[in-house]
Amino acid sequence: MASIRISSLHKVYGKTPAVRGVDLSIGTGEFVVILGPSGCGKSTLLRMIAGLEDITSGVVAIDDVIVNDLEPGDRGCAMVFQNYALYPHMSVSENIGYSLKVAGVARAERDEKIRRVATLLGLDTFLDRRPAQLSGGQRQRVAMGRAMIRSPRVFLFDEPLSNLDAKLRLQMRLEIKRLHRELGSTSIFVTHDQLEAMTLADRLVVMNGGKIEQVGTPQEIYRRPASLFVADFLGSPPMNFIPAVIDDEGKAVCADGLRPCPDLIWDLEPGAEVRIGVRPGDLQIVGRSARGALPFEVEMVEDLGTENHLHGTTTGLRMTAVLATGEAVPDHPFAVLIPESAVHLFRERDGARIDPRSVSRIH
Amino acid sequence: MTTSMNRVLSSGAAVEPEVSRKARPRIRPGALTIHATMILLAFIAIFPVYWMVVSSLKAENEIFSTGLWPSAPSLDNYGFVLSQIPMLRMLANTTVVAGVTAALHVLTGLFAAYALVRWRFRFSGFVYGLIALSWLVPFQVTMIPNYVLASRLGLLDTLAGLIVPHAAAAFAVLMLYHAMKSFPTEIIEAARMDGAKHWRILWEIITPNLRASLASLGILAFISAWNEYFWPLLLSRSIENSVVQIGLQMFMTQEGNLWGPLMAASTLASLPILAIYLLLQRQVIESFMKSGLR
Repeated sequence: MASIRISSLHKVYGKTPAVRGVDLSIGTGEFVVILGPSGCGKSTLLRMIAGLEDITSGVVAIDDVIVNDLEPGDRGCAMVFQNYALYPHMSVSENIGYSLKVAGVARAERDEKIRRVATLLGLDTFLDRRPAQLSGGQRQRVAMGRAMIRSPRVFLFDEPLSNLDAKLRLQMRLEIKRLHRELGSTSIFVTHDQLEAMTLADRLVVMNGGKIEQVGTPQEIYRRPASLFVADFLGSPPMNFIPAVIDDEGKAVCADGLRPCPDLIWDLEPGAEVRIGVRPGDLQIVGRSARGALPFEVEMVEDLGTENHLHGTTTGLRMTAVLATGEAVPDHPFAVLIPESAVHLFRERDGARIDPRSVSRIH
Repeated sequence: MTTSMNRVLSSGAAVEPEVSRKARPRIRPGALTIHATMILLAFIAIFPVYWMVVSSLKAENEIFSTGLWPSAPSLDNYGFVLSQIPMLRMLANTTVVAGVTAALHVLTGLFAAYALVRWRFRFSGFVYGLIALSWLVPFQVTMIPNYVLASRLGLLDTLAGLIVPHAAAAFAVLMLYHAMKSFPTEIIEAARMDGAKHWRILWEIITPNLRASLASLGILAFISAWNEYFWPLLLSRSIENSVVQIGLQMFMTQEGNLWGPLMAASTLASLPILAIYLLLQRQVIESFMKSGLR
């Protein structure tokens, strides 16, 4: 177990920046998930921590020791790769025990450790098989075993579940969580899957364009996204956005004069362009005459079993509302209301979150 | 019951001729032409080998007869060859030269390809280009400098002199460069994470997975070194330090060629290559396909 400190980390490929000034501290035993879209620099960041990628500038320190110039094998990190990266010519037991062989561990001790790890992962009956003779889930377990056997200070996961089917992914997710709880090792998990991120993370790091957009617990980030990007990226179905302008009173006014949150005031200059955001599950179905109500025209209903997704338009904008399956979809014209506590507002200019003056009313 | 039975029987009877008609292989005219052409080409390729073996069994007075089989087959020509030149010694020399050359091709090719693919250094692209260009330089251009060098190093009339100038080949580097380039980077990175350094990665991770390419290269290099004639001709002085291709020349004299012994010696010279071909038929064909040679 170890703590990690990353300061002003930069990575530039030729003239293209991949990671731009990342600062991050990870506590001992913490499970941190780095989430972001493809090309946001999350894998590059992980690979720099692992030592597989040269650092253009900045510092990576493990347990306060700068490891910038250390070889990957000397950093005390183990990594689980997206495509498992198992040695095709070696058996499962040779794959799991290779790092110990390299480290010069005696055969008897090696075999003992291999057996222990294999039993923990349910691989004890496959030890003589080659990777090609295993299913995707079993290969993933071997990759996990290979990482675990060295008792590394830090576990690094580079989208390890993305090649598995949905059922297996859930199973492995739970397994990773269980192993982390048992081993208590510091872990960094890179993914673009928000469900994985939300369920696994002690702390979530959302990246975009080579920079960290927000760091926090999954609930903090979901409930209080710091930027338009985070608000849009996290959540399924995604957050609804309504363009608006701040009037002289500091209230948000939509294009056709509607005021979706009439009692909230923002400290923004009049005329500032903003976007009001609301999660589909937070919208309330009301009559069209209600104050602040936005008329909603249903175009399609998706029944997901546990809930219905109502896709439609409000003042010409696409919007989605979520209803529990038990709740009936109104058969008459209706509107949606944004509860004050569910309003998110972002400045159009820089995408920054702006809280209303009476912020205490938000939560 | 009877009606349904009849229906089954009648339907079966109706289906049966259809099935048997489908099962009978139909020969299309196109396929027939292709097969005929392939048979002809195979005959053209195999007949000289057959003629060589048959001629080696013929007596001197029968050597120019067009008979497909000698009237009195004998091994006299083989006895003559073995008594006139140290054929077994030459075969052993050739095996050593071809074997060591092939091994060195593989070894130097592996090292160079690993360095070019795995190490990032300035002008690596230029170095790769130079190696690729050197493949295009004909032997005749490097022949004299190589000869002078071998002479100064005291390698004239030695087996080492036949091996050393051919220890590295651009073809080997290029072939293994591409094989190594297509090797998954993640596996190498996994080995690095496991603590392996370059030497281990090369021998324990990459090499076992490039067996097919290495076998192909080894076979090609062995055949090429076995068939080498011109360089041994320049370098060899004594028959004891010579290779089998030079031995064959002994039966081509100014008074005329000794066709029977020449064919017997050629058969003996071809035997190891034929053995390799018969043992590793699939790998040999694969290696020729991979290298783009026919």
